[in-house]
Amino acid sequence: MNRRQTLKLLGATAIAGVAGLPNMAFAAAKEMVVVVKIAGIPWFNALEVGVKKAGGEFGINASMVGPSSVDPAQQVKLIEDLIAKKVDVIGLVPLDVKVTEPVLKRAQAAGIKVITHEGPEQEGRDWNVELIDSVVFGEVQMQRLAKEMGEEGEYVVYVGTLTTPLHNIWADSAIAYQKKNYPKMKLAADRFPGADVTDDAYKTTLDVIKAYPNLKGILGFGSQGPIGAGNAVREKKLGKKIAVVGTVLPSQAKSLIDEGIVREGFLWNPTDAGYAMVAVAKLVLDGKEIKDGVEVPGLGKASVDVAKKQIKVEKIMKINKETVDALIAGGL
Amino acid sequence: MPENFARFRRSHEFWLLSVILILVVGLSVMTEGFLTLQNLFDLLTSYAFLGILASGLLVVLISGGIDISFTATASIAQYITMLLANKYGLNWFIVFAMASVVGIALGAINAVLIDRLNISSIIVSIATLNIFYGLLVFITGGKYIYSLPPWFSHGIYWFEYVDADEISYGINLQILALAVMFTLTWLILNRTNIGRQIYALGGNREAAQRLGFNVFRLNILVYCYMGLTAGVASLIQAQLAQSVAPTVLVGKELDVLAAVVLGGASLAGGVGTVFGTILGLTLLAVMQNGLILLGVSSYYSQFFVGLVILLSVSATALSARRKRKGVMTE
Repeated sequence: MNRRQTLKLLGATAIAGVAGLPNMAFAAAKEMVVVVKIAGIPWFNALEVGVKKAGGEFGINASMVGPSSVDPAQQVKLIEDLIAKKVDVIGLVPLDVKVTEPVLKRAQAAGIKVITHEGPEQEGRDWNVELIDSVVFGEVQMQRLAKEMGEEGEYVVYVGTLTTPLHNIWADSAIAYQKKNYPKMKLAADRFPGADVTDDAYKTTLDVIKAYPNLKGILGFGSQGPIGAGNAVREKKLGKKIAVVGTVLPSQAKSLIDEGIVREGFLWNPTDAGYAMVAVAKLVLDGKEIKDGVEVPGLGKASVDVAKKQIKVEKIMKINKETVDALIAGGL
Repeated sequence: MPENFARFRRSHEFWLLSVILILVVGLSVMTEGFLTLQNLFDLLTSYAFLGILASGLLVVLISGGIDISFTATASIAQYITMLLANKYGLNWFIVFAMASVVGIALGAINAVLIDRLNISSIIVSIATLNIFYGLLVFITGGKYIYSLPPWFSHGIYWFEYVDADEISYGINLQILALAVMFTLTWLILNRTNIGRQIYALGGNREAAQRLGFNVFRLNILVYCYMGLTAGVASLIQAQLAQSVAPTVLVGKELDVLAAVVLGGASLAGGVGTVFGTILGLTLLAVMQNGLILLGVSSYYSQFFVGLVILLSVSATALSARRKRKGVMTE
């Protein structure tokens, strides 16, 4: 083989290599990245487990990223990076649906599918996945609170912030349910913010106990609300008089649940949520038609609202004295 | 002491105190729960964390610097201390000593960077905030510590008193630590040579240097003191929240800064008092507390908080302007 032949051969190999590349890329696994509210907290660590698990099962290269602080602008930046990276699917647990709307629309224009979770009002998405029905979720917790209060007396409601979409939908539904079914119960004041931070919920509860001495119940939406409220109720030794119910993380609430201060906690399983986002992405990537009653792989039948782009799988998790230890053992 | 009073009447603290007194009188008349011993203890307990940090930040501001990394410092001190306390038992003295040492060490890093590289303190502390916090979240994976040693979660209660409604209160760990740290800060600033040097440094750095002050030593002292307060504050917060969460403290910097600046400390340095800081913090606390007791809807409360802050700051600014005019016409 002389030099010219060698060069020809090398050239041909190079061309073949370049031509071969797109084919190889096509054959490679699809990539999905889920953007969460904040990286590094237990809730989203659990969600990541679900994302990875589903990724492995469905052959999707799925991973999770999140901002280092709760800041919607940082979510936008992360999504911009993902558009530049040309991923196939972006998952999002939105902080502020208005802030992330334009960048999601850009992602969709670039041919990227968008799956949200906790974002029923998020524009610029293909589907929103929920493990609970927001209205039912509020109602179930009100039923439990009413039972603890003997269906009468004053109660207050906490939310993360007065503009956190889901918390306020739950609160609306719970309060409406009370007005309809428990006429002897009374909402003592407008809902209070602060249920995302233990210290704030604690402070608010101390003030609320004094402002409304007849208070019999606290309903906390936002994972730290029932914890802060429970700490204050425990400190004031009012656990028998005031019932605390709401959304909590099992391991954090364990001592309050064991002492009977938090009467029952409600949640959905974040690992299931991460799994569900990837599972729905799989349906979308495979081009399956999504309609009411569709089988979501690994999760069962879902109720689907095609016009509102909502997919719901009913999976409310109840945290009480009987279930708390098993849930903690499961890593929650 | 008419002369002293006349001077006080012109001060920032006087106007702040007036606004607070008006609020207190108003709230006492309009609500039952406000002017009670129980409410006082509750307020002191829940604002102790911010208060202790404010006393440290006050010293930094007076020296002409600023530090916003203290929440990350507190998170680290809290996490390391409680992790070890869970593992080895320990006791009150050791946990406080340990948290303080961690705080002081991190404060020293800030001081060395600020002084030796001569970079503006806000930039350095923004960077170290991210470095400290980033490392903490990376190493711990953001895992909360839920179970604290029993002696720690029970806390300390002195002079416990149970009222007619079987609600108990007394001097607890939070109130005790708050009192100690405010007293210590006051002593350092007003009763020591070092305190006067810190004021001088913040007032005019150049002059302080030419007078032969050891600026590096002063900076080390100031930022280490901030670290010490962060260490102490972190433990009383953990005791109150009954858990350690690496992500909850970062973000509270501005609340602390607001209280200190509202209390009359200048971001330009050289100005500020412990009494003013206490008043600034009191104003913020009384506002939040009073609005809930009054039954003001949460939807309006931020509006009122902003309004009262603006009013009290304007009162001070107006009086300062009048004073300047007075000087000019004399």
